Amino acid sequence: MNQKKIGGTKKKVTDALAMLLMIIVFCAFMFPFVMVIINSLKQKRDIIKSPFSWLFTIKGLSFDNFVKAFNQMNFLNAFKNSLVVTVTATVLVTVLAAMLAYYIVRNVNVFSNIIFALMVASMIIPFQAIMIPLVSVYGGTLNILNHRLTLIFMHTGFSMAMSVFMFHGFIRGSIPLALEEAAYIDGCTHTQTFFRIVFPLLKPIISTMVIMNAMAFWNDFLLPSLVLTDKKLLTLPLSTYSFYGTYSADYGTIMAGLLLCVIPILILYVALQKQIINGVVAGAVK
Amino acid sequence: MKSSNKGKDFCVFALPGLFCFLAVVMVPFIYGIYLTLTDWNGVSSVKNFVGLSNFAAVMRDAQFWKSLLLTFKYVIAVVVLVNVIAFLLAYILTRGIKGQNFFRAGFFTPNLIGGIVLGYIWQFVFSRVFVSIGETTGWSLFEISWLSTPNKAFAALVLVSVWQLAGYMILIYVAGFMGLSEDVLEAASIDGASGWVKMKNIILPLMMSSVTICLFLTLSRAFMVYDVNLSLTGGAPYGTTEMAAMHVYEKAFTSRQFGVGQAEAFILFIIVACISGIQVYTTKKREVEA
Amino acid sequence: MRKKFSARAAALGMSGVLLTSALTGCTFGFASDPDDPNAVKEEVPIDMTTDTFQYDTSLSGTSIVIMNTKAEIQTALEEIAKVFEEKAGVHIEIMPVTDGDSPYTKVVSLYNSGNPPTLSILDTTDVIALAEEKAADLSNEAWTGEAEEYLTKINGKVYSFPLCIEGRGIIYNKSVIEDTLGTEFDPSDIKTQDDFAALLQSLRDNGMKNPISMAKEDWSLGAHQLQYIYETYNGTSDGAAEVINELKDGTLYLPDYTRMNEFLNTFDLLKEYNVAKGDPLGADYDEMAIDLADGKTAFWFNGNWAWPNLEEAGAETTDEYGFLPYFLNNDPDDFVNSKIQASPSKQIMLDDIVATDEQKAAAKEFLNWLVYSEIGQQMVVKTCSLIPPFKNNPNEPSDPLSRDIYEKVQNGGAFNASAIVPNDHWSVLGAAMQKYLAGRSDREELIDSIQAYWDEQ
Repeated sequence: MNQKKIGGTKKKVTDALAMLLMIIVFCAFMFPFVMVIINSLKQKRDIIKSPFSWLFTIKGLSFDNFVKAFNQMNFLNAFKNSLVVTVTATVLVTVLAAMLAYYIVRNVNVFSNIIFALMVASMIIPFQAIMIPLVSVYGGTLNILNHRLTLIFMHTGFSMAMSVFMFHGFIRGSIPLALEEAAYIDGCTHTQTFFRIVFPLLKPIISTMVIMNAMAFWNDFLLPSLVLTDKKLLTLPLSTYSFYGTYSADYGTIMAGLLLCVIPILILYVALQKQIINGVVAGAVK
Repeated sequence: MKSSNKGKDFCVFALPGLFCFLAVVMVPFIYGIYLTLTDWNGVSSVKNFVGLSNFAAVMRDAQFWKSLLLTFKYVIAVVVLVNVIAFLLAYILTRGIKGQNFFRAGFFTPNLIGGIVLGYIWQFVFSRVFVSIGETTGWSLFEISWLSTPNKAFAALVLVSVWQLAGYMILIYVAGFMGLSEDVLEAASIDGASGWVKMKNIILPLMMSSVTICLFLTLSRAFMVYDVNLSLTGGAPYGTTEMAAMHVYEKAFTSRQFGVGQAEAFILFIIVACISGIQVYTTKKREVEA
Repeated sequence: MRKKFSARAAALGMSGVLLTSALTGCTFGFASDPDDPNAVKEEVPIDMTTDTFQYDTSLSGTSIVIMNTKAEIQTALEEIAKVFEEKAGVHIEIMPVTDGDSPYTKVVSLYNSGNPPTLSILDTTDVIALAEEKAADLSNEAWTGEAEEYLTKINGKVYSFPLCIEGRGIIYNKSVIEDTLGTEFDPSDIKTQDDFAALLQSLRDNGMKNPISMAKEDWSLGAHQLQYIYETYNGTSDGAAEVINELKDGTLYLPDYTRMNEFLNTFDLLKEYNVAKGDPLGADYDEMAIDLADGKTAFWFNGNWAWPNLEEAGAETTDEYGFLPYFLNNDPDDFVNSKIQASPSKQIMLDDIVATDEQKAAAKEFLNWLVYSEIGQQMVVKTCSLIPPFKNNPNEPSDPLSRDIYEKVQNGGAFNASAIVPNDHWSVLGAAMQKYLAGRSDREELIDSIQAYWDEQ
């Protein structure tokens, strides 16, 4: 009894210390963003001459940068493009990678080992090394660049290895074979078993992979810039690059544009945060 | 999945994902290897087979080996710092302190921004904000821009990469910690194991699968650092912070030696593959079943 | 010569307009917003009343793409495209290039993807690398006669359209110098390096400690400054080519080359009076424009493309800015001490591989229109703020920097020497120059690295 009490006090103290540490680290993590937010409301001259000054000490506080960024990015259209690409590719890669990883885990043989090894190895291919071959194959030979579908397909392909790798680890570690065997006895087919029994159990890792992939697709610049040239199809990151001039950058607009791009994905993240927790809790109840 | 219908299972489960992967990654990669054996310059319509002469040119490219050495230094610094920081933060963030979800979201935010933009923000912070703080406070640490001396510019690169990657790894470590069975931890506490002993003997071994993943991810990402390198330092000051991936890109496009750049990318791939292979093999061995 | 990208969104969804105006209560259209200090260019009226250009009506309905690598004229080009479409019925899409990939990378990937732009705005080195393989021969176009000395010829053929002339040197702010010294300042009084050094010293004595801004960027150091050693060989492109060939085959020993040493003397002088002397590699490009406009400095080594930055920093087109030459020695009769370097910088190349005959014809018509139509002539100068290399264009640039270059070109105050160097020259030797600028290497090491660079070629 007594010991428990001491433990309780001790826990309180360490918790407070932990809290303090978290707050300090958190501030360090947030510092650049605070700078972005503050400076997105300033005029270029103030940004350059006094980047650190607080808002009330300078004269030109305004939302002009946001208006300008919104306009120049053609925000709504770019937002729609980004949304379509990100959502479709994320759904595709999540489902396909989970299935492929499941197959690899449950069919241990030379063939699936080779596939898995190949995928893991491919994660370390520098993108620069396949950039030009990629456009030669898809543009020069197949001539299917400049379509959203092509970009979605490529996003799916590029993130496949990493996603399979993550699903593979999770399925191998946390999905008991017994459940599936029970399902087979009940007469379920493989596909039914996967989607009814296994897939729901993957929820924690799915949330993680959804946020990671969605974020990567949302922010990616290099691949879309190679695939999309038609102005109507440009995604958000592509459209913010209009603010970098030849010799100097339009900082205020860049920062405002940046915030406009980040907010949607931040919302997704905060929403999925809950999912991740729920998923883990549900998993623990089993 | 032990029963019949192997072929059907393969088509339903494995084929679609595998097809995407092979078509997008492997086909261009193999084509790229073929290109290292030619004198193709990226545009020309003729490709002459030149054997291994591009690889011979790589051997002569002193700058490439220098950038590779620098990349090694960078990778070591980043991998160690990211994993230690992320592991500790994830540990603290799974102990049920107030607002832990908020903190997790906060630490993750650097990942919400693409690498190139991120580099520009930090460039702004290092060259303008810090200098401005230096002017106001007189702190010599911030007196001149970090990006104008080689060592500090390197430190800046490491700092930014750690800042960005740590949030990503926190997510994986948090998932790992949450997967730890409460029973095991409780049992350990009852046995009187506490603090460091508990961490070393019980938590760490159980967390090895997360560690394997995180080490592998940080390793491969650090080796291929490009975006942040380009936008934060661009190799400056005077080319001292040019990492391997950036050098490869510059070689292929700025120096217009496409075949050589492609060959360097291939060599970089081999090196990273070997190192990650060794890492995965050694850490896997230490994983235990929960 | 880092090029960054500029795209500008076209139409905006109506709901967005309503939403944002409601949020901010503010007017749209940044170019005409008088409160917006970021607004670079004011609407310059174009006289549309006279148009004697003969349009080829059969081309109406054709659509072409121009890849733009000159970010600062993106909006202007879009405007030009709009006017041209109204007049000629040819639709022009302006494709901007991003910072993530260089113009060359972009054009290479576009050719690989089988989707190259009809017209590409490129640097001269890019044109030389691509022309014979990909570009249409433009030798027989009428405009070649209007810009004889500014054409780039590859094996005797012209593959590119010179878009503009750009000049560089030491920009001065006249009123600042006069205010600091309390006397009249006449740039033509400065005839030698010693004169310039004396001027700098007297500015320093009068309270302006370090009157010069010097960009740390590798394109500025490696291309704009260092290339003087080739360009000033005798002030012609042929001379520059000659000295480069001698360097390549090893017949020119760099430590004994006069221009090399003279160049470094001048560079040292600029270094001594550099406002960012304490941290030369921490210098910020945007701050330089502000410093010059504010009068914290009196000089900035740069070119006429710096005007938008200066204007943004508060300079007016009525202010007196101009160029001093990059003085190399004390001989007033040496052309380098009286002339400004000014040569064509961007070239437009016409694709010969994928473009259809109609597209080629439409593209050629567009180029002709820029040179010969009254509207095109005006728009090149007024809307884009470019200095056209074509003699027949009667319009004068309106900003002081371009006007100064324009006048010097007209009055023989400029020399046209383009040094054709390998594409990585600016980045490799720019790094060597940065090291020298930071005081981390001496002359010997710098010259060695330049020599080593050329030995490898």
